[in-house]
Amino acid sequence: MILRENTMASHHGNTSSEPAKNEQIITEFFAKSLHIILESRCPYVSSRNYSGEQGLSSPSSSSSSSASVRPRDKWFNLALKDCPAALENIDFWRQSNLEPMVVDVVFVQRSSNWDPLNSSPKRGLIRNLSLKEKYSWSSDHDDFGNETKAEKIIERWVLQYESRKNPNAAASVSVGKRSICTSSHTLYKRSILLLRSLYVTVRLLPAYKLFRDLISSAQIRTYNLGHRVSSFVEPFTHKEEAEMQHFVFAPVDTSCGRLCLSVLYRSSVSDISSEPSTPMTPQFIPDYVGSPLADPLKRFPSGPLPQGSPSSSPFGRRHSWSYDLYRASPPSGIPSPSPTHSDSHASFAKPRSHRLPPTSLPPQIIMKNAGYDEFLPSPNFSPSPSPSPPTYAPNSNISKVLLRTESAPVSIPATKFSGIPLLFNNQMLPPSPPLRPTKSNVAKAEGRPNLFPTNSTADKLLLFGKDEAVKLSGLKISSNSSPQKSFSRSSSRLSFQDDYDDSVFSGPFVVDDDDVTDPGSRPGSFDQPGHPCGPNEPPGDFSVRRSQDAAVGALVRMLKKAAPLQQDLGNSTSLKTCSLDPNQNMGQQGTQPSASVASSGLVSPKTTADALEELRGYRVMKNLLLKQGGKSPTKPS
Amino acid sequence: MNCEVCQLKELEVEHFEIREVLRCILHTIIFHRALGLVRPKDIDLELFDITYVQCGDAELEKKIDDKIDQFIERVEKHPNKKNQICLSFYEVKNKQATWFTNKVERLYWEQWYINLNLVQHPKTHFGKSHHSKVVVDPGDSVSEERNARRAALESSLLEVLFQIIKFVNEKKEHVPPIPNLEGVSFPYEITISSSSDSAFGMDMFKRMLQTGHPSMLS
Repeated sequence: MILRENTMASHHGNTSSEPAKNEQIITEFFAKSLHIILESRCPYVSSRNYSGEQGLSSPSSSSSSSASVRPRDKWFNLALKDCPAALENIDFWRQSNLEPMVVDVVFVQRSSNWDPLNSSPKRGLIRNLSLKEKYSWSSDHDDFGNETKAEKIIERWVLQYESRKNPNAAASVSVGKRSICTSSHTLYKRSILLLRSLYVTVRLLPAYKLFRDLISSAQIRTYNLGHRVSSFVEPFTHKEEAEMQHFVFAPVDTSCGRLCLSVLYRSSVSDISSEPSTPMTPQFIPDYVGSPLADPLKRFPSGPLPQGSPSSSPFGRRHSWSYDLYRASPPSGIPSPSPTHSDSHASFAKPRSHRLPPTSLPPQIIMKNAGYDEFLPSPNFSPSPSPSPPTYAPNSNISKVLLRTESAPVSIPATKFSGIPLLFNNQMLPPSPPLRPTKSNVAKAEGRPNLFPTNSTADKLLLFGKDEAVKLSGLKISSNSSPQKSFSRSSSRLSFQDDYDDSVFSGPFVVDDDDVTDPGSRPGSFDQPGHPCGPNEPPGDFSVRRSQDAAVGALVRMLKKAAPLQQDLGNSTSLKTCSLDPNQNMGQQGTQPSASVASSGLVSPKTTADALEELRGYRVMKNLLLKQGGKSPTKPS
Repeated sequence: MNCEVCQLKELEVEHFEIREVLRCILHTIIFHRALGLVRPKDIDLELFDITYVQCGDAELEKKIDDKIDQFIERVEKHPNKKNQICLSFYEVKNKQATWFTNKVERLYWEQWYINLNLVQHPKTHFGKSHHSKVVVDPGDSVSEERNARRAALESSLLEVLFQIIKFVNEKKEHVPPIPNLEGVSFPYEITISSSSDSAFGMDMFKRMLQTGHPSMLS
């Protein structure tokens, strides 16, 4: 303050030495410039967010400088809002003795597919490239390990003080004493002018629009702005340089040098920013997905399949996924009954057979269907007209059931006819070894594209989200028990892919049923001529996997649906498919954060097309069941 | 003291755009001449994707708005295509008291000329399309035209703003020492003129007499 006053008042000579004053002005000029730039580029703080008073008075904002806020504002007669990033950096710079200051404004692009796994919204939000992450948006969000982001320097501000070789000889001497006096005053005035220009310019450059959008909307953008402050220039490539425009502020002459400020900026920033924004918080995603995308779908359950799908109405409200759940549940129950590996082959082989028209289906399948039919009519699903309440109830039942059943292995036949279909499913679930999350993930990822045809319910779910690896991974985690198994599975899927184009859903569904009804017969099925893939893999693995998957899938769906009701945020935790038992889930949440994230991802990305596919599959399945159900009353037991 | 003059690039504006355009330009200039302590205020234009800066001084804002109102009023009464708004900065010097006057002399040191070319809004177009049976196509073309024109004006306005910045950067010698901290800005005045106005000459003459218009008096 004092210094500034001096410079201001220095018309009439004052005692403090000119060079010292000049140097301080220069130093403060650097600080102010940085402040101006970062204030309108660093989303953490901006003048737009706070009223002037708040910005000025907030003591907490700048730890070291709370007392000195006013003086800082008085410098150059420009009151700025606090910008911690600027303060931090300038402290750094002050130690560097008037070295050049290079401020790069970096555009950070999130991966085009918004990937819940890698970028929880918060994480992705800010990548503050400057030294202090603590000042970036919120400290707990830093996850700089993400490699999914693309960075691009969109602005480079270069501020430097060019001192003359021998200032005294050149400037002071020639100018004379009196003018030296004015020089500090003039320097100050010109610095003010330059900073005014800078302040305006910063807001006119294209990057400001990015910043403005970042801070002004409640939506998370697919990009963020970061910054780097250093004292050296990391040169651009020619290409990069060609894309940038240069604006040079007129240098400010001092008695012994000059202040130079210039900016290289990208004029095409608007292209980058035009990308769609993503919803603010991860919690919203499930609902978001369900509601907007699924809206059209909601009608489907009740409309096209009113009779066939009793469950449709209750679940329909939620979104298309509800269908999956319904579908998934029967299969999940089925496979589980016998953990024995022998079954697996059969199940595996079946998918192919299912491709065949319903009439051609093997007897086993029919049997299952009968069971299934019963399942459909079950009172729980059909009756509830009101969407929301019914959904909730079933879920709760399920969870309870799961808990009970978990330890005890379930016999298939018994389960079939249990009054509540869900129960049926649940029972099935317990037998399967619930969670072997880790290894399988990788394997599944590999097989993902192929997943479509696969038996497991989880896979079905995955199908919809094919595009998004994340979702898949999440499901995978839950379903697969052992890495090997998962691997084999993926391979099998690959082989099957071709077969299943249109009838995808029916296939998996049927298969599961078969497993349930005829455990013994399956091995035979494996032998069937139709199986190309089966032979290579150990029989046991498949069955186990499948059953697990199915169970997991069912659980996942149920949990998913249940989650929103129970949990405000639609926490991913509910979604975690990993554990069959809800309790388990709870316990696991802590341990497997990644899994939970992944599962949440599943919910979000569905497209209308997916939903339609799903619907179609469901119809096919329904038809099959109806036909078969009529044929095969005898088989069930 | 020499008076620097900056002629800003002419802008083609429609009537409804006048206010925003003028505000944006005037405030931007004054922000560069308000060398007292300011708390800058960012303003997003509504018509254009541009953010400009105000000094955060209510009195100053009001004065500018009043002038703009005056200008618009005048434009409505005397529709002229070419209009000019002059923002002048001056220093005040007390003339030695004479027998007749205790006059305050204004020494102008800088003038900014904002040139507006008022274009007739497409009202006429609408009228035509109304009469012609084909309503749809003309309407579309008109809106397209408008958008294109809007975009053109936006970029022109941006150009003007950079023109201001460059001028401020290059011409610093003439800026007088920073005045007492009382006022945010150097003293200034805003004057309006229209080239084709019949009363223009007389108006100017009067004003010159009153204020000692520097450019004419020099």
